[in-house]
Order: sequence, then C-alpha cells, then structure tokens
Amino acid sequence: MIARLTRHPAVVPIGAVVLAILIGAVVILLAGLNPIDAYAAVLQGSLDVRNLDYTFSVWGFICGMGLVAAIPLRMGEFNLGGNGQLVLGGITAYVVASQLGLPGIVAVPLALIAAMLVSGGFAAVSAPLATRFGIPIIISTLLLSPVAVAVASYLVRFPLAEKGSGNAQTPVLPEDAHIWSLGDLRYTTVGLLLIIAVMVIFYIVDSRSAVGFELRVTGANRRFGEYAGLKPGRLALGAMGSAGAVAGLVGAIIVLSSPYRFIDGALISPGYTFAGLAAALLAGGRPALVPVTAILFTILQVGGASMERTAEVPRQLSDVLQGVVIVILALRVVLDRRRAGAGKDS
Amino acid sequence: MSTAAVELRAISKRFDAVVANDGIDLVLARGTVHAVMGENGAGKSTLMSILFGLVRPDSGDIVVDGETRSFQSPLDAIAAGLGMVHQHFRLFDSMTVAENVVFGAEPTRGGRIDRAAAAERVRSLADRYGLDTDPQARVGDLSAGARQRVEILKALHRDARILILDEPTAVLTPSEVTSLFTVIRRAAEDGTTVVLVTHKIQEVLDVSTEVTVLRDGRVSGRFVTADTTSAELVRAMTGREVEIVANPGTGTLGETVLEVEGVSVTDARLERVSNVSLSVRRGEIVGIAGVSGNGQHDLVAAVLGTTPVSAGRIRLGDHDMTGAPVAARRAAGLAVIPEDRRGEGSAVTMSITENLSLGHHRQPPIGWPTGFGRGWMSLAAARTRASEQISSYDIRTSGEKQPVGSLSGGNAQKVVIARELSFDAPLLIAEQPTQGVDVGAIEAIHGRLLDYRASGRGILLVSHEISELLALADRVLVMFAGEIVAEFDRSRASAERIGAAMAGAAAAAGEEWTA
Repeated sequence: MIARLTRHPAVVPIGAVVLAILIGAVVILLAGLNPIDAYAAVLQGSLDVRNLDYTFSVWGFICGMGLVAAIPLRMGEFNLGGNGQLVLGGITAYVVASQLGLPGIVAVPLALIAAMLVSGGFAAVSAPLATRFGIPIIISTLLLSPVAVAVASYLVRFPLAEKGSGNAQTPVLPEDAHIWSLGDLRYTTVGLLLIIAVMVIFYIVDSRSAVGFELRVTGANRRFGEYAGLKPGRLALGAMGSAGAVAGLVGAIIVLSSPYRFIDGALISPGYTFAGLAAALLAGGRPALVPVTAILFTILQVGGASMERTAEVPRQLSDVLQGVVIVILALRVVLDRRRAGAGKDS
Repeated sequence: MSTAAVELRAISKRFDAVVANDGIDLVLARGTVHAVMGENGAGKSTLMSILFGLVRPDSGDIVVDGETRSFQSPLDAIAAGLGMVHQHFRLFDSMTVAENVVFGAEPTRGGRIDRAAAAERVRSLADRYGLDTDPQARVGDLSAGARQRVEILKALHRDARILILDEPTAVLTPSEVTSLFTVIRRAAEDGTTVVLVTHKIQEVLDVSTEVTVLRDGRVSGRFVTADTTSAELVRAMTGREVEIVANPGTGTLGETVLEVEGVSVTDARLERVSNVSLSVRRGEIVGIAGVSGNGQHDLVAAVLGTTPVSAGRIRLGDHDMTGAPVAARRAAGLAVIPEDRRGEGSAVTMSITENLSLGHHRQPPIGWPTGFGRGWMSLAAARTRASEQISSYDIRTSGEKQPVGSLSGGNAQKVVIARELSFDAPLLIAEQPTQGVDVGAIEAIHGRLLDYRASGRGILLVSHEISELLALADRVLVMFAGEIVAEFDRSRASAERIGAAMAGAAAAAGEEWTA
C-alpha cells in the first residue's frame, strides 16, 4: 500500500516542496527566528488584496518563463538561456517602440512581434549547434545567454542611454508606446492576457497536434523517435525557436510596462528565469501544470520581500527554497535513470 | 518428507487487483532439477521472489528442510541455504571474478580480505562443478555466459543447497546453453536442488527431472519429465492445444522490394558488415541466421537508415535509398520490428495508444494529411484504433492508457508488432519477433507473419532461433563476422547445417557456400 502511494507521480514534486519548506524552517530556526512567523509573512505579503495586482503580474512572468523552459523540456532538452533570450526581447521591443516613431496602435504589436522574432531566432541557434556540431543544448544556451545580456547592457549604457542619468537605463518610452493596462491596474496589463493565451496554445499544440506528439515521443525516447522517422534536429529548432519567442514576448511586456524603459539588470534580477525553470521542472514540463506550480514560486518571490520587512528573514531564503526544489527534482531524474538502467523483469 | 529440500504450501499473493499466486503448492525434492514453467504473467517470477525472500506472501508456508521459515529479506533465504541467479546479473563490473564471488562472505586473514584464499576457493568450486572461469578476470570484460557462471559460483560459495535459476538461457549462445546444462546436472548429482524457471519447453525436456506448470497463478500440471511430452506441457501452459504453424511452401514471387548490394557498415573503425548483398521479393520470407553480434543488427540499421553505410547501395522498391533519411525510407514502404524493444521499439513511459500511433499519426484516421486540419490529430480516432488493435492482437492490458513499460514483455512486443504490421509496407524487417513471448503468442505471431507474406509482401526475418527460421523462411542466409557465409534453400535447410554455418564453419557447409 505504502509502496503504491510512493509510486504516484505527484509524490516526488509535492515531497520536494514539503522538504524545501522544512529545510527553510530549519535555516530560519538556526538564525534564531520564528519560521511560522516568516512563512505567515510570505503568505500575507503575496496574497494581500492590495498586492494582488502586482502578484498577478509576477505570476504571468513566471508562467511565461516557465514555458520557456517547459517547451524544450517536452523533448528532453534543457533551455538554460532564458535570461539572454528575455533581455534580447526587452531591448528589441524598446528599440522598435522608441526609435521608429510609429503610432501606439502599431508600435506596441510591432515591438512585441519583433522581440519574439529576435529572441526566437537567437534561441534557435542552439538547435543546429547541437545537430551539426554536437554541442548539447543545455551547454550552448547557458553559454550564449551572457553574450546577449552583455550586448543589451552595452546598448543601454552607450547608444541608447538616457542622457544625464547616472543609471544605466534608457529614457522613458513615449506614452503612446506603453502597453495597454487593464482598467486602472498598475502592474497587470494586456501582457498577462497574451501570456495566458500562449499557455493555452502550448497546451493545445502539446496534446492535439502531430508536432506536439512528436516532441513528447522524442522526450520519452529519442531513439524510438529516430527509428520511427522523426527528425530531432528539426523538432529542436522549432522547440527552441518557440521557447525563445516566448522569452522575447515576456521581455517586451516587461519593458513596455511600468516604468516603461529598459533598465540594465532589471529583467534579470527578479529571477523570473530560474523561478520559471523551477516551475517547469516541478510540473514535469506538463503544460496544464506550469501555471499551477508557478503559483508556488510567485508566492515565494512576492512574499519574500514582505517576509524580510515583517519577520526580518532575508529574502534570499526564497532563492534557497527554490534551489532545494530544483536539486530534489534533479535527483529524481538521476534516480529514475538508474532505476530504468536496472531494468524490469518480464 | 525427508527427501523434500523445500516445500511451499498454499502460497498466495495479490498485487492490487491481480492475484499473482493463488494457493500454490510446490515440493522440491533434494538433488533434483525442478523446472517451473508458465507463460508470462503466470506467477512464476512472484513465486520465486517469495521463495527467495524478495516478496512476502499474503498467506502460505515456506518449509526448508522440514522447518517452517519466514523470510524477511534475501539474507534470511541465503542463510537458509538458498541461492538465486537473476535474469539481470547483479555483479560489480570493475571488480574481479574472485572479488565478486566472495562479496558478502569474504575469507579474511587478520581483518583483511585474503585474496589468495578467495581465488583458491573460486578455483576449487569452479573445478568441482565444471564452471570454466578465470578468478582474476575483470567481470566487465566477460561475456554474458561467463558472468552467469560467476553468479552461480557466488551462490555455491555461500553453500547454497537450493539454486534458483531465473530464465538462465535467455542470454546464452547454443554452446553456452549446453555447458550450463552440464553444470546443472553435476550440481544435482552433488545433492544440490536446482530450480529452473523458464518458458522454453525444449530446455525443460533436456535438463529437468520434474516439472511444475503454472497458469494464471495456479498449478496447472505436475509432471515427471521422463514421462511427459512437449504437447502435454504446452497444453498445461496454455490450457489448449497449440498447432504448430509452418511455412506452407513458396508462393508466387513478385517484384523485388529490397535490394542490398555490396553493403559494408563501419562503426568505430570496426567493419560490422562486410560486402553483404541480398534481395527480398514480394511473397517471400528471407531469413538471416547468426549468433547475436555477427552484424545482423547493423545490417538492419543500415537498411532502416539509422546507421550510415560505408560502401554499397540500398534500394527499396524502385527507389535508391542509400543516403536517405529514415522518414523517406519508411514512406517508400518499410516497416521494422526492432530487436531492442525497450530502447528502440517503444517509449515505455507512454501509453499503448501513443505507442501504437507513432508513424500513423499524420495519416487518417488519426491525422488529417491535407487541408485546414493538417498537422492535427484526432485523439478519439487514436483511441478507437488502439482498442481495435488491442483486441485483434490479444494484448493483455487494463486499458489503452496503460504505459507500455508496465506490460509484460510479450504484450509489449505485440504492441510493436501491431504498429509495424499495420503500416502494410511492402517490406517488413522482423528482428527477433518472438523474443520474450509465450508459446501461445509465438504461434499467433508466426501466423501473422505468414499471412503478411501471403498478402504479397516481403519479409526479412532476423532470428537467433533456428527453429523459427526453419518454420517460416523460404531461404536462410547465415551471417558470421559481418559476412553472409552460407545460403540455404528451404528444401536444403536443416538445424545442423545452419548451426554449423553459424559457428563459422563455412567449409562444413560445402556445396551451399555462396561467394
């Protein structure tokens, strides 16, 4: 009976979260503080009605970056280059929205599309690198990411810099090029609706389309896919291109939202990329679960700040918990592989 | 009573809804070779796991040497004098034979392992039972047969008086099987009780003294081997008469569906396939015999397109496919039942429906090939098609959503066969199509292959089982060291001639030699 329960697919992910919370509690206790107070502050901070607007926008970004990891994860590939793809989308959107002098009705959609194309193209480079040159996608995405971040950083410090400002940031976008907000909400915009739409599309493509099926087959057993005539190189190109496009979309939405400018480091420092990666891993890449697991990391992210204020626990604890979850899930991959290697008796 | 080494009394075990063992009684007389037979899922693995302390029964007694025991773990079973050689070996590859054998019960001197004594112990055991082994060899360098000898030595070193061998011949070549049987007989003469778990009838008749047959978790027959026949054993295993299917003779040959011309395959600088030429025509089954690892699999991979050729040409029908990708070859009319079912032929974590759909998912009824719906799949159509195939191929499952990895080996093989046969491709390559499949199901698969040929298609049948080739093939080619060393027409083929050619004795094949 117990053996049956432990084999349920939800056990490891939920166990990982519980274990992470317990480890966090021990860390807080060791620091001489009260873990219950700290966790209560996390929940209060993130679920406070006055904060919900902000919480929703963060959830949207984590969902978006969750897709960036989940799409390639469907075929068994790890995209660790979310940061570079995100920043490249942000800077592209800024350039299109600010430099072309187009009216808002054209500028905003065009900025979003351009960001998706540039980031998608950038991420897709990893596919031929893997197929032609044998560089694993997990490596090339990780190594190419800082390059994109550095290029954006150069652009924002020199050619696009705000004159007379001490900060590495661009001037504010013209009001016409701000993304449309929802009612009088400050943080939640049309961007959140776009991300939700992308999640729905991913879900449908994953479960009902031939390409989605081929991705899942390749993820489950690459040799099986090749034997059946699938082309993993082409699938990787599509998966990485789509993942990059989603990252570009998220970057563009962030830049076109308040405070309506590209600030160096502002897209990376909230840690959406790795929160999204953790959410994708926790969901096992399943499209329907990513928005659910993203809730957990949203609470940690948003609540971490209020925990720091009211319970005097540094917000870095959120990162610790995220890290523990990722380590446990990575361990499961290793153990599964070992178990599969041991083989099953007929 | 005094002659029973082990008695299992009324053993029952359920797993969820499945009754694996239902009141099984089994008496193992001392110094006998007792075969436990049954189809996949009949309960033999569960019964042996209970006997060896890996699984605890829900009810029933285990009596060893007249004493009722309750095994909490295999350690208790080992202490009671049992030893088990598993189908998948449990050895340390990087350590020597001697180290593996004494592991867990090491001879020590002054608190340290006495390596000399260990080697000596292995040597004396090996001599006594005729187990040819080098105590200093690294286990990772040994063949499957030699590893199995190490496992047997390990059990004997622990003074096992009851030795359980689980499907021991699955990984062995014909000559290794012969020497294993010699060891088994010698151990029995020595007073050891050997339990042989198998579903191969010929082995049971060759080596056992008594047979217990299981079906659906119960004992369906007990026999003294000398007084029984293979027909009687098959009936006990399947509950019915099994007719042996055989090739009714050559039909009308049509056009050539596969033409392999002077193909070589080189992998890691080793020539796996050397200058092989062969052709398959509509209406014929061409068999390829050979001991595993003589290039058959590389030849199949070259035809499928998963391995490049270093020389030669491959044609499917009218199309030159030498450098073409797998998808183009399959589109030109090729289906393949691969040897490595788990690694290549299926995705074990995916459902039966998904496994059956791959390759069919862009064609009707599952996919829309053209127009507005192009690229989308009908999940309902995939499910309907899967349940039809589940019933027509008699795949034993709880439903079409069940993951293929949780099916028994024989049922997983049926999934692969159903998917590939339903391509209706002019050429089918069937590699070990009946591996791990029950007697009853082998007959059904053979019947399907013959029907496939009768419908005017060609089959390239690669098999290690000479009997399978003799039953089905119109011609048999023998591969040895990457080359085709002999070709036999149906009328000239015999087990002896094919066996001799498989062993590389090309000269013995004499007149059949084709250069």
